[in-house]
Amino acid sequence: MALTITCPICGKRSGYEFRFGGEDKGPPPQAAGLTPAAWCDYVHRNNCVAGVQKEWWCHRQGCGTWFSIYRDTTKNLEVAGPQSEDV
Amino acid sequence: MLGRGKRLWSRSKRLKSSYDAVIIGGGLHGLATAYFLATRHGMNHVAVVEKRYIGFGGAGRNTAIVRANQRTQENLPLYKEALELWPVLTQELDFNLMFYNCGNLNLAHSEAALKAMRLQVASAQFHGIDSRLIDPKECKELVPALDVSDRLRYPIYGGMYHPPGGIVRHDAVVWGLASGASQKGVDIIQGVAVTGIGVQGGRITSVETDHGTITTPRVLNAAGAYAAAISCEMLGMRLPISVLTIQAMVTQPLKPILHHVISSGTYHCYANQTLKGEVATGAHMDPWPNYTTQCTAHYIKHQAEALTQLLPCLKGVKFMRAWAGLADMTPDMAPIIDGNDPVRGYYLDCGWGYFGFKSCVVTGKYLADFMASGVCPQILRPFTGRRFEQHRLMGETPALVHYSPDN
Amino acid sequence: MKRLAGLPTLRVNSARAVSIEYDGKRFHGVEGDTVATLLYANGTRIFSRSLKYHRPRGLYSLDGQSSNTYVDVDDIPNVCAENTFVGNGMRVEPQNVLGTPEHDWMAFMDKLSWAMPAGFYYTIFHKPARLWPIAVRHIRKTAGLGSLSPDVELRGRFDQIYPAADVCIIGAGPAGMSAALAAAAQKLRVILLESRPWLGGYFDYRTRNHKPGMPLYLRGRQLADQLEQAPNIRIFKHTAVIGCYSNNLITAFQRGSEADCFAERYVQIRAESVVVATGCIERPLLFENNDRPGIMQIGCAHRLARTWGVLAGEQAVFSIGHDLGIEAAIDLHDLGLSIACVADVREDGCDPALPPQLEARNIPFYPGWVAAKAHGRKVLKKVTLTNLSGVCKQQFDCDTLVASAGLTPVTGPLALAGARLEYDAHTGYFLPTGIPQKMHAAGRMLGLEDPTAIELSGRLAGLRAVADCGMAVGATISGVEEELAKLPGPARGSKFVVAPVEGKKTFVCFDEDVTIQNIDQAMRLGFDVTELIKRFTSAGTGPGQGGIAGHNLPLYVALTHRSPDLHPRPTTVRPPLVPTLLATYAGTNHPMSKRTPVHASQVAAGGVMERLQPWQRARRFCADTTARAEIENVRTNVGMLDASTLGKFRIFGPDALKALQRVYVSDMARVSTGRMYYSAMCNEDGCVIDDGVATQIAENDYYFTTSTGRAGETSEWIRYHTRYDRWDFHIINLTDAYGVINLAGPNARKVLEKVVDGAVSNEAFPFLGFREFMVHGAIPVRAMRLGFVGELSFELHVPSSYMQSLWDILEEAGEEFAIWNFGLEAQNTLRLEKGHVILGSESEQRTTLHDIGLGFFWHRDKLEAQTVGAVALKQTENDTSRLKLVGFKMEEPAARAPRDGSPIVAERIRGYVCTARYSYALKEPVGMALVEGYLAKNATRLTIFEDDCKGELMKAKVVPMPFYDPTGKRMRM
Ligand SMILES: Cc1cc2nc3c(=O)[nH]c(=O)nc-3n(C[C@H](O)[C@H](O)[C@H](O)COP(=O)(O)OP(=O)(O)OC[C@H]3O[C@@H](n4cnc5c(N)ncnc54)[C@H](O)[C@@H]3O)c2cc1C
Ligand SMILES: [Zn+2]
Repeated sequence: MALTITCPICGKRSGYEFRFGGEDKGPPPQAAGLTPAAWCDYVHRNNCVAGVQKEWWCHRQGCGTWFSIYRDTTKNLEVAGPQSEDV
Repeated sequence: MLGRGKRLWSRSKRLKSSYDAVIIGGGLHGLATAYFLATRHGMNHVAVVEKRYIGFGGAGRNTAIVRANQRTQENLPLYKEALELWPVLTQELDFNLMFYNCGNLNLAHSEAALKAMRLQVASAQFHGIDSRLIDPKECKELVPALDVSDRLRYPIYGGMYHPPGGIVRHDAVVWGLASGASQKGVDIIQGVAVTGIGVQGGRITSVETDHGTITTPRVLNAAGAYAAAISCEMLGMRLPISVLTIQAMVTQPLKPILHHVISSGTYHCYANQTLKGEVATGAHMDPWPNYTTQCTAHYIKHQAEALTQLLPCLKGVKFMRAWAGLADMTPDMAPIIDGNDPVRGYYLDCGWGYFGFKSCVVTGKYLADFMASGVCPQILRPFTGRRFEQHRLMGETPALVHYSPDN
Repeated sequence: MKRLAGLPTLRVNSARAVSIEYDGKRFHGVEGDTVATLLYANGTRIFSRSLKYHRPRGLYSLDGQSSNTYVDVDDIPNVCAENTFVGNGMRVEPQNVLGTPEHDWMAFMDKLSWAMPAGFYYTIFHKPARLWPIAVRHIRKTAGLGSLSPDVELRGRFDQIYPAADVCIIGAGPAGMSAALAAAAQKLRVILLESRPWLGGYFDYRTRNHKPGMPLYLRGRQLADQLEQAPNIRIFKHTAVIGCYSNNLITAFQRGSEADCFAERYVQIRAESVVVATGCIERPLLFENNDRPGIMQIGCAHRLARTWGVLAGEQAVFSIGHDLGIEAAIDLHDLGLSIACVADVREDGCDPALPPQLEARNIPFYPGWVAAKAHGRKVLKKVTLTNLSGVCKQQFDCDTLVASAGLTPVTGPLALAGARLEYDAHTGYFLPTGIPQKMHAAGRMLGLEDPTAIELSGRLAGLRAVADCGMAVGATISGVEEELAKLPGPARGSKFVVAPVEGKKTFVCFDEDVTIQNIDQAMRLGFDVTELIKRFTSAGTGPGQGGIAGHNLPLYVALTHRSPDLHPRPTTVRPPLVPTLLATYAGTNHPMSKRTPVHASQVAAGGVMERLQPWQRARRFCADTTARAEIENVRTNVGMLDASTLGKFRIFGPDALKALQRVYVSDMARVSTGRMYYSAMCNEDGCVIDDGVATQIAENDYYFTTSTGRAGETSEWIRYHTRYDRWDFHIINLTDAYGVINLAGPNARKVLEKVVDGAVSNEAFPFLGFREFMVHGAIPVRAMRLGFVGELSFELHVPSSYMQSLWDILEEAGEEFAIWNFGLEAQNTLRLEKGHVILGSESEQRTTLHDIGLGFFWHRDKLEAQTVGAVALKQTENDTSRLKLVGFKMEEPAARAPRDGSPIVAERIRGYVCTARYSYALKEPVGMALVEGYLAKNATRLTIFEDDCKGELMKAKVVPMPFYDPTGKRMRM
């Protein structure tokens, strides 16, 4: 396989220029009163989707930007995201 | 046993409507657990349900390296027993698992690596496991093809030599266990995928498959790399796992030249010569989640660079076949073994990464104890998935892992 | 042997002789010969012995489909004689024989085959258990083909290139060439890859007419000429495609000719669109002893004659399943080969124009007949033919049997790229479906046989590739599609699998000596999936991979199952498609490392350099591995350390402080100008990942350092942990922009004050101060007073371009004090004496800030900052069961220091020694260890278990840190 990823700044580049940054789980939960289980859920646990997931990438060997893309983990290919849902 | 031409295991796809236990996944851990349930606990009303065919997953794709020189005391006794079980099981199954006890040599390319190895070596010795540090000259004596000069990008500072390790024929383990379990009455059902798990009142009640429902009070999720997705989708239990593609390859067969398993963390590379004469080598993981078993151009090139640095004579040898499998990695490179938490009757054995071959038999043995009695054996307790919320990473890896975003 | 001369199709130059040494004797051939054709022309029939049974094996195909002709060339094993050109003076040796290929002492193995059913090794050798270790040794010796010496050196240069293309075409047969021309006509950048040393594919050796007056080979050369003239086509000949990956990444390797500067080179192409026109190979015919030397495929016999001028033998029998076989029989007859008969396995017939031509030459034709058994002890002497019911049989004397069941497409590149292969009942081929986007198949591999249709399908694929590149050629495409529809479509192929008689040695796979009996055995044992049968019998896992077994194995399995819903399924294709030298993959492979700006002077000063992550750094400058002299020089005088590898960063902008608050555990609002502030970063687990110092340079503008190992990740770490916040800050990695000198020791100030323009007294520039100076009025220096080594010291950051000058200036200024370098080993002991940690040394993945005793750096009251790791730090702060960092000394001060990494035990392992050294300052060993909480109290005894200690445990006791200068007055001097 030869993953390519589209950086919002530099365009489509070889996947090896990038660093994976996890499933997109949204911003971290508020620290105050966070239980160990809830903390662990955010920090360590994953959905491990076999299919399309939204995830973070950093253009490490390029512009350094963090951005999110959709990728099909069963094909290892970047895919178009779902149409935006705002009316 | 083969000569008689009897089937080694039952014919596929004949599901009964209920079982005492259903095991998801006809891989190493599933088959081993089934075998021990049947032989040690008389529990043979058991089905192993396999989506494709037995050995389809990591079981048929690994490089079959076995060793017991782990880092922590939670792991050492388990792997020690695992190593001792191969010859025993060969006799018990009357199936030659071909344990080739060639020893493992792990190379250090810095002072820091030597120090890390010393901890590993001394810990192993403390547990009665043969392991020792050797200097570059001794490395060269063991492996004459090794380049111990300072021409290397990362010269060799020494090595950790572990004589009791080696390689085992991975397919033989799958087939031997399947045959042994089948003879004791376990149903091995191939070509059937588990599609759901039924829970009522916090207890397991059934398993859905694409060939019908099975009622059962116990389920073992031993679906290897798919275990986390199954757990999340079917039970809503998310796991601290990242599934990555891991690759390996072999060269064309040669007369004996490499008499040990050699490995180097710095070069991300290990190699050994199989009994067929091929130099088998792995194992790189692209550090992002992936359910494909595709190989990469990037890696085969990297592997050639690394191997020809360590063993320059291999320049004149050809790669013949590369393949990939999946590795279910946890944040601390140790597995997750749980049962009855929080769902009664639900057992979990996954997160083995690239250690799940060497451990399969011993884990199956203790997991069978667990499933038969409902009580977790002492030796498996440290592996609970709760350790991550208790801030007790296992320590199997001294360094930060590269596939997690959090480092 | 006399060679055919003057054929227009020849690819050899008979005017130039070459010779090789084979098995100690000299053999002659002509330029253009491969090792295989040269030896064959000289009468060699047995090239090797097979893996398991040591059966004689000969030339079967010409493209390396099996290991039959593997030889050792100049000490390199497993070289395929079929595609290796002869070089003058090559030394060639046969492999896997005890004796010679003709007289192999291991030949008796063939008689023992009854003892070796499929998977036999799983059932024997393990009883009694002590037999196995002995058996292993024997198995290893007999396994493997060629042998390699541990100190052999492969000669030649190995190169690599990474070209890009709009359209990449794999295969330069008629379809591939037409595709290339179509794409080139649109001015696109085209790359054409061909594994043979010339273009033309299966047109190249055939004299049949393409159009009246235009034989196929001429047509091939015509197309090739057009290609060679197109400036925008880059042609790679003798280049085998080995990998095909998603997003059209193609890998290949090219064999260099004598004129090239490389022996082989790795080629990696990224193309917008790919055309695969790899044609077909032949499907082996299954019958008893189908591996006897003298038996070969159609293309092998035909090309031997037409391309190399070598007739395969004197008297031949043909047993074929394709018109190419009849065509070859006619042509070879005309070239002088005597042909006993042609048996055609197809019942539904052949091109009606062909049998009359056989008749005209008095060649008996047997439609519906097939080879059932080959006779001859070592090489072929006779063959038995049978009709398809197996009832009638007839024998023919011959020395050559041209045997082939039909064709099979070369789909490897498509399969690797993700296409599925499905059995097509019309062609009898495994045809690709679900071909990835921007990838196209063309030509013979689709089942086409009509030459015009093949060319046109190539043109069509080429145009589709053009369309992928965004050009409007839709109308042209439709035109070609219509035209193609009028031409003959995919031809009906032979579906014949195995001769209708029982045979003992009918080989499905030559490399692994797998017979159809072995397949039957496997199936009886319950292996019903082809993939598992392959594994159990190892069919198709040898050097030729699927070349011989790939097509027949699934067909045979499906045939045996006799189950209508079981479609034949081929086994998975795996890269590399052609075995490839590790040297070729490795390419030039330069050793790379980073050097600091004063690298050369460090080396000149006797520095023993070592690799530290990407860098080269000096471990020490004295012969003594403990670096005693360097240590004492720093403690009593003044030393200089090149610390340029430290991570250095500037962060600025309105939200810079917020970003620092997020990643550092301390309250970074306390960072101020003119002062250095020490803090640490944790990950979400509260585990320390970095420590360093920070200062404020201007409003919203900070300068900070990280450890060497974190320099590469820090920018992305900070951006990662602020990725949801849309904060406004910039971060610049200055690691390579600045060099760093640590000037340390009681005389450090005396050296520095000689060269800087500002005051450096303790009052003017106190401990933890930050100042900017000019050195000699020209070199800007950022100076900080830090105390890592525990003496008065100045860390000087200077633009890299000035680094060497500053170093030299300080050296000169320090001459009167005998200033001297110190390296990492000295620094390690110096900081250890102070109880300062090095992350990774005194910590591991699971070590929290609390564990190393630095919990007090964490400011819990900056909740709103959402500091990374704060939650975990809070949840673990009272956990006493964790490993804690302690200082220790030996109970007996005269004892030596324990070795780093040694476990600390008390019934079980309770921790380990992180670093321990003999302290010259304290005249006894000191060390730091991570131990279980209950052992962390002062004065507790630690029992140390060193490797190889043979039960002799070392005893140490926990002591407070720092060991040296506990009040820290020396660094505040
Ligand atoms: C290239 C490579 C090299 C390796 N090298 C080594 C090594 O040298 N040493 C070592 O110790 N380990 C090694 N490993 C790791 C080892 O192979 C795995 O850890 C091990 O196979 C895990 O065993 P398992 O039984 O958990 O999973 P698997 O063996 O993967 O079995 C899981 C099975 O579950 C099935 N399944 C999945 N989903 C379902 C479903 N819904 N329904 C039914 N069945 C399902 C799958 O088809 C599969 O057959 C390597 C792995 C790879 C890929
Ligand atoms: Zn970018």
